[in-house]
Amino acid sequence: MGNKRSELKKIIMDTKTLPTLPGVVNKLNSLTENDKASVQEMARIVSSDQVLSARILRLANSPSYGFYRVSTISNAMILLGVNVVKSLALSSSIFEIMEKNSLGLWEHSLGVGVAANLIARKLNLPECEEISTAALLHDIGKVIISLKCSEAEQLIRAAIHDHGMYMRDAEREIIDTDHAEVGGWLSKSWFLPDKLSEPITFHHDVAQSGNHRMKTAVVHIADVLVKASGFGDSGDCYVPQIQQVAWDVLKFNEQLMAEIIDELEDKLVEVKNFSLELQGSNGSAD
Amino acid sequence: MAQPTRISCLSSDAQLALHLQLRLQSKGFQVTTISSIEGVLGAFYSDPPDLLIVDLHSDRDACASIIITLRNDSFFSAIPIIGLIVQTECDTVEWEHCPLDDFIHLPLRFDELFSRISLALSRIKRIFDNNPLSRLPGNTSIQKAIEEAMATDVTVCYVDIDNFKPYNDVYGFSHGDEVIRMLSRIIFNAVRDSGGGFCGHIGGDDFVFILPSERAEAVCQTIIDFFDRIVLDMFDEDTKTRGYYTGTNRKGEQERIPLLSLSIAVVPMRSSKIRHSAKVAEMAAELKKLAKESVGSCYVTDHRKA
Repeated sequence: MGNKRSELKKIIMDTKTLPTLPGVVNKLNSLTENDKASVQEMARIVSSDQVLSARILRLANSPSYGFYRVSTISNAMILLGVNVVKSLALSSSIFEIMEKNSLGLWEHSLGVGVAANLIARKLNLPECEEISTAALLHDIGKVIISLKCSEAEQLIRAAIHDHGMYMRDAEREIIDTDHAEVGGWLSKSWFLPDKLSEPITFHHDVAQSGNHRMKTAVVHIADVLVKASGFGDSGDCYVPQIQQVAWDVLKFNEQLMAEIIDELEDKLVEVKNFSLELQGSNGSAD
Repeated sequence: MAQPTRISCLSSDAQLALHLQLRLQSKGFQVTTISSIEGVLGAFYSDPPDLLIVDLHSDRDACASIIITLRNDSFFSAIPIIGLIVQTECDTVEWEHCPLDDFIHLPLRFDELFSRISLALSRIKRIFDNNPLSRLPGNTSIQKAIEEAMATDVTVCYVDIDNFKPYNDVYGFSHGDEVIRMLSRIIFNAVRDSGGGFCGHIGGDDFVFILPSERAEAVCQTIIDFFDRIVLDMFDEDTKTRGYYTGTNRKGEQERIPLLSLSIAVVPMRSSKIRHSAKVAEMAAELKKLAKESVGSCYVTDHRKA
């Protein structure tokens, strides 16, 4: 069984880019002016898309630049420059077959990014932007699995459907690893700093997280909350329990949770509108 | 084992590209081929090669604009570019607008191509005297740029980092180098995004940039804002909250050292009575003293009238 794992790991180590949604790329293409407003809009779009964000952070942290700890899109843009980010974003490939799943996952990822930001701010945690970036990227492993193992992905989806399993358990059964581990491999081979790779790797197992346990805990809770709200589509529709260790490390309480859930609802409506706006630019490329 | 030299080949001629790839790979180069003009900058930025070969014959205008774009970013301008061109086209190329390092005729003679590649790679090691850390132009170019700026309506700005020495002592040179690389990128991007200008690296933590006077103060402020934000990534949570770390000062005493910040001396060339380029640095040194007196990052402008 170890074979499949190492095969997949090798594939990931060789992965240098990933496709994103056509709507995202079309929207970027429509921003031709180099004025302040369009630079801001570009930053907004880039930091709403897990694949684009990951690619830009990969570049910023790559040995050719010699920075080793760039973990937010705004810092990456300062260091790389607007032109470089723009060229990189515009050279994105797109998913050729646009599936319902990819849009669902896109919405889920953005939703968790927004939720994590909300939680981090509520708790007055340092490095809120880093936490939202980690949250945006937490399911990047799912993008790779669906792209590089599309046959296995069919089986995973069937297993979820037929046996009512969590996606992660189905992945373990069929490809002998899961999207969190796969995302961790990618973030290592893409030079992402620990404050991002740790929450990605351990968002289903907060206790395993070491130096960045608080960040991991926020991402974990944000993931659960967004699943519970029914927003987006993370692959299965089952809501896991919030892990006790996450609750403890953040010193959460129920009143705080109630406030967050309340505010999150409004935020998710905004996210939905943004998503619809991007989908609206799906066909307008010509 | 040493990393293999990486070469990118840009050509819309699939057969030529394949041929190139096979022959170069047989020589031990790591080769990527790029067939579409649209993808080339992104591919280039995301994985910069050591040398680029462009097929000017298949799409000259698009190739020329890509070459110019790459040359305009100091970070990439040093990468050698070799053009492929049919002999009869040679005198129709305006080399000014197509700044290659070298060209070679189609149909290709591969032994010649290999020689030109080796030459291009060794030349870059020999003559490339830009600062190796920041890849910005060094003192010869700076001197020239300042002389050209004399008595025109531009402003020369001198940047350095406050408390950089104790930072290096406490955190080590590799962290210090990273700060230098960050600052060089921040300056370069801020100047370029404002509409362009000159950026140079004097050495150590000293930088110069020159740009039209009406943009100078806004760019100083942008550089300061960006630096103050980015530099936080170089410290751990506790140090950030505390706002200082403990180090040894010049007298060998333990001291509280504040987080890194910038001082910028701003010297407008038109308004000041500068007759000689050496005078610019002298004035900058005076202004820097003033800038260092304040806590945190700041810029100080010379307001003396000519």
